[in-house]
Amino acid sequence: MVRPQNRIRVLIAKPGLDGHWRGAMVVAMALRDAGMEVIYGGNRTPGEIVKTAIQEGVDVIGLSVYSAGHMRLIPAVIEHLKREQAEDILVVVGGIIPPVDIPLLKTAGVAEVFLPGTPPNRIVEFIRTKVSARREGKV
Amino acid sequence: MSGIPLKPVYTWDDLRGLSFPEILGNPGAPPYTRGVYPLMYREKKWTIRQFSGFTSPEETNKRLKYEYHAGQTGLSIAFDAVTENGLNSDDPRAQADVGAGGVPTNSLEDMEAMFTGLPIERLNTGIIGNPPASLPLSAMYFAMARKWGIPWKSLGGTTQNDILLFTVCNTPIDQIPPRQLIRLSVDLVEWCAINLPRWNPVSIASYNYRENGINAYQELAFMLANAIAYLDEGLRRNRLTADQLARVMSFHLAAHNDFFEEIAKFRAARRMWYRLTKEKYRVRDPRAQMLRFHVQTSGSTHTYQQPLNNVVRIAYQVLAAALGGAQSIHANSFDEAICLPTEQSVLLSIRTQQIAQLETNVVNVVDPLGGSFYLEWLTNELEERAWEYLKKIEEEGGLVAAIESGWVHREWRTAMEDYARKVATGEYPVVGVNCFQMDEEPYNYTVFRPDPNAGKKLAERLEKLRKTRNRHRVRTSLARLREVSKTSENVMPAVIEAAESLVTLGEIVDVWRDLYGIWNPPVAG
Repeated sequence: MVRPQNRIRVLIAKPGLDGHWRGAMVVAMALRDAGMEVIYGGNRTPGEIVKTAIQEGVDVIGLSVYSAGHMRLIPAVIEHLKREQAEDILVVVGGIIPPVDIPLLKTAGVAEVFLPGTPPNRIVEFIRTKVSARREGKV
Repeated sequence: MSGIPLKPVYTWDDLRGLSFPEILGNPGAPPYTRGVYPLMYREKKWTIRQFSGFTSPEETNKRLKYEYHAGQTGLSIAFDAVTENGLNSDDPRAQADVGAGGVPTNSLEDMEAMFTGLPIERLNTGIIGNPPASLPLSAMYFAMARKWGIPWKSLGGTTQNDILLFTVCNTPIDQIPPRQLIRLSVDLVEWCAINLPRWNPVSIASYNYRENGINAYQELAFMLANAIAYLDEGLRRNRLTADQLARVMSFHLAAHNDFFEEIAKFRAARRMWYRLTKEKYRVRDPRAQMLRFHVQTSGSTHTYQQPLNNVVRIAYQVLAAALGGAQSIHANSFDEAICLPTEQSVLLSIRTQQIAQLETNVVNVVDPLGGSFYLEWLTNELEERAWEYLKKIEEEGGLVAAIESGWVHREWRTAMEDYARKVATGEYPVVGVNCFQMDEEPYNYTVFRPDPNAGKKLAERLEKLRKTRNRHRVRTSLARLREVSKTSENVMPAVIEAAESLVTLGEIVDVWRDLYGIWNPPVAG
């Protein structure tokens, strides 16, 4: 179902148990300041993240992972999205991701990995560009 | 970096009217600005204590031995997010996190596997766990020591046991309310003050607060506010004196990158603790007025890009900690922003500290920067601002109330946003990130990977434990823990009995979850 809406909706969440929230919160606040509607989901399992994303009708899921579990947790989120036929939701990632894993995550379906130190407005621009492209594609 | 405007030069005039005996004193004497001991590193160098842990107790044991043979002089255990949250390794939510950011520790057996072959009677250990998990983890360590014939009276070490860690610093899973957390953490403090005189049952870890973006004087204010919360809770019980409680408290501060500000901060911290304990709590025992602290180099200042640059950042931060009179130091590994330390990167961290201790000669004179116009002025300035900010925390009803109301989360959100803006605009230069960036990574390094099958292995071990342990002992010790946790009696004897009965971490913490309920942290406001 396509919900007509103007503002971009983003769910920021942390899959798994790692509770370091500074990076995720800084991005959430920047997206909010840029006019997006941001839901801060906190720590959830991959399944819960996707369920919330669908319920909230978000355009984007932003995942923040600092533990070394990203190669299991992030593909698990994408797997759940596929199962729910919600692959139109853009997935972006931030946190502690070793360089060699970035292409693997992208192959798995992550739209972009934002490394530590990325200026928040770059994330805003990326999301705006990608989401409007996807919306145009649907209309 | 905390926004204090600086002049180009400081002179005698900036210290005019100050009484040096009152604000400085001698090292090892009030107000302890210059150091907690008269001879400091001349007599005993700071402990080299690298925070370590990953994959399994056995793998961690190997790494601890590697570090010990490289010359480390104290131990510090990093638990994984599962253990830190008081969950067992086979929790269905835990699988990707077991052994990923630290060592999984479910029972006394795991604790023994982690420390086997290490001389813990000579090497003090930091059990870096926080309430509620800090109680069973400490109990497992104490039970292990007793089992190995090491008397509690001589067992040295520290439990972090800081309520801010898994209420505000990190978002917790299934956490109990802050008012119950302070009860449990002070139970550990109280019990250790009597039974383990050489153990520090709390390490107020302002390092972690600072890592969330607050500045140097906010770090000092939150540090003291937290210590006040512990002292007030301890005194409310009318069982121990302020002297007994304050004497066993230790601290864990950050070494951020503004070199002189951090040194001034360490000196201000000592003076503030002296003033707080003496004036507010009428403490008489000098040992209770002395701020003994561990320092960690600030992980948040280390970059993912051009990671070898971090070697330099870490060296400067270690030097600041040494010039600031730390008792113990952890030097991050240069790959901090990318992965857990490899053997090579942790070796370099140990060597960084050894070179500082043995080659720079800074250890030969106590408080060598004392008397510097800039430093003394800055120490005073930070102290003043810290007391002011501490008043704000008190106005919120003290730290526990401020955590519950969401005030602390709000203040930290403001701070992290402010810091991020300053990095984005370049106001805070970060070499390699907002200046001198390079398209291609110029340095080579190895990425450390913990074992991704750790979850499965630890779950199997738990299953075996449940089958082979004495179920009657498990049931009766859990029942006893439950009973005492309903009263205001100290829970530690019951926690120790449970640990000795091979009750697991998750089972112990579940008793408290069940009795006290789950708290929803106001992270997002």
